[in-house]
Amino acid sequence: MSTAPAAVQAGRTSSRPPAMVVARRAVNRLTLPVLLLLPALTIIAGLVGYPLVRTIYLSFTDTGLGELIYGGSEWVGLENFKEVFADEHLRTSLVNTVVFGTACVVGTMVLGFCVALLLNQKLKGNLLFGIAVLLPWAVPALAASAIWKWLFDARYGFVNWGLVNLGFDGFQDFAWFADRETAYVAIFITVVWQSFPFVALSLLAGLQTIPKETLQAAAVDGANAFQRFRLVTLPLLRPIVAVLVIFSTIWDFKIFDQIYVMAAGVPDRSADTAAVAAYREGFALSHYGLGSAVAVVLFVILLAFALIYVRLVGKEGELA
Amino acid sequence: MRWLLKRGWMYLAMIAVSTFALFPVYWVVITSLKPRSEIYTRTPDLWPSDPQWDQYPRVLGEGHVGRALLNSLIVASGTMVICLLVSAGAAYVLARYRARITRILLILVLMTQMFPLVVLVIPLFVTMRKAGLLGTYWSLIITYLAFSVPLAIWVMRGFVLSIPDELEHAARIDGATRIGAMWRVVLPLAAPGLAVTAVLSFLEGWKEFLLALTFINDEDRKTVPLVLQSFVGRGDTDWGAVMATSVLYTLPVAIVFVLARKHLMTARTAGAVKG
Repeated sequence: MSTAPAAVQAGRTSSRPPAMVVARRAVNRLTLPVLLLLPALTIIAGLVGYPLVRTIYLSFTDTGLGELIYGGSEWVGLENFKEVFADEHLRTSLVNTVVFGTACVVGTMVLGFCVALLLNQKLKGNLLFGIAVLLPWAVPALAASAIWKWLFDARYGFVNWGLVNLGFDGFQDFAWFADRETAYVAIFITVVWQSFPFVALSLLAGLQTIPKETLQAAAVDGANAFQRFRLVTLPLLRPIVAVLVIFSTIWDFKIFDQIYVMAAGVPDRSADTAAVAAYREGFALSHYGLGSAVAVVLFVILLAFALIYVRLVGKEGELA
Repeated sequence: MRWLLKRGWMYLAMIAVSTFALFPVYWVVITSLKPRSEIYTRTPDLWPSDPQWDQYPRVLGEGHVGRALLNSLIVASGTMVICLLVSAGAAYVLARYRARITRILLILVLMTQMFPLVVLVIPLFVTMRKAGLLGTYWSLIITYLAFSVPLAIWVMRGFVLSIPDELEHAARIDGATRIGAMWRVVLPLAAPGLAVTAVLSFLEGWKEFLLALTFINDEDRKTVPLVLQSFVGRGDTDWGAVMATSVLYTLPVAIVFVLARKHLMTARTAGAVKG
């Protein structure tokens, strides 16, 4: 692509009647962006906007399977929401979501940050290291759940075998999925394993955009490595970190596949997260109204977290 | 000496993380090659004594994994193509037109990522039922667009932002229309961004489980995660089959990732969120 000399540019522009140029530009300005935006926005509004509104509506009704097919559901006000907080299983699932989800976000961010810093060092073997950390990302969540479930298998799993060989005899036939806490340890490792690559690579990209001069200037001013990290790197990465934390929270609080597959054997379903509980109520038990209410509560929780993060980052302008 | 101490730490950390990242993958592959007697043993070996490939033809044939791979491929490719067509233009507009409304739209688009999938499953199920699409590829492709399009818009917008405005201006001064400049200048330069977005949106369709579980009943239309789940779910898990299926399920993505590692590692996925 070539840049024309100034004289030619001027000639071209002035050869058209200014009024027409203005009119054509006005039309261009309005129609083109609208035409380009329309398909995407239609899909998002139709597939996310409309169902969301419908789910919120369902959460105020007593809709079950019959009502869903034949109609005739009744408005029950806040009854479903009262039940979400009164029912022990559903209440526990909300607490599980927040506690376990937060742990996953923290674990992912910490490991992701360390790996990004390592990748940013120009070390030998970095390319291989990069490919190694890329691979878990390629494994679909459901396959990852199956793989880790096998590694944590009570009788034939590698983890128990390894621990016993290291001298922890208590892990002979240890059943990780027999109760909530140990099941969560296994699922936590699975989730972090899968999600740290994305965080690491995104932060690496961020690190590479930090001008070397800035860091050198800080070094000249006498800042040690830790101070340079805290005072220069971290503030510059803040917008990326904030968005990654938001995305991770959204993903980890909604976690489904891993819990559904790995925590299926935990007694009383006490390890269910809100997403799994909502699915069970809605589909397995056909309590669509109640299931929707669980989902709406989860959405409100996520929105609240997102708002807090945006506040912490400061200006929303850094996001959009 | 100081250098060695400093670097030594880093290499140790690199080895530790690589082991954590790779070991499960390695374990799946060798488990899929072990004969039954070596899978179900309390003293697992790090290498199968006599690698056997019979799990693979078994799951591909009677396990319906071959058919499932084809189904997943159709659904994921459909999602990818439509997603790219739909979101490229939107991403361009949201990057180049700076107005209050673009900012509002961007935040709304980001918010759609905040909706837990379960919020949408029930009404989407009803909608698909009414439209008579339940059990078809389209029911999955259409709903996956709801999640891939917002992500694609954000990622591609980041790439468009990284292309200097001046190049487009120059083309327009040369007489190109806005669309011409977009086509001839922005699109070629955004090619790596399109590639990354293609990978991401393909992955959305490739890995999705919950909606597929809800919409698809027909054995012939099942995607890979559904078949995988059926192996795990049976009273007695068929671990050999699970491992072989997991390998077949992951392999295509792993190959693409390794080939595209340059783009993924300089991942402007972050560029997308930097604005």
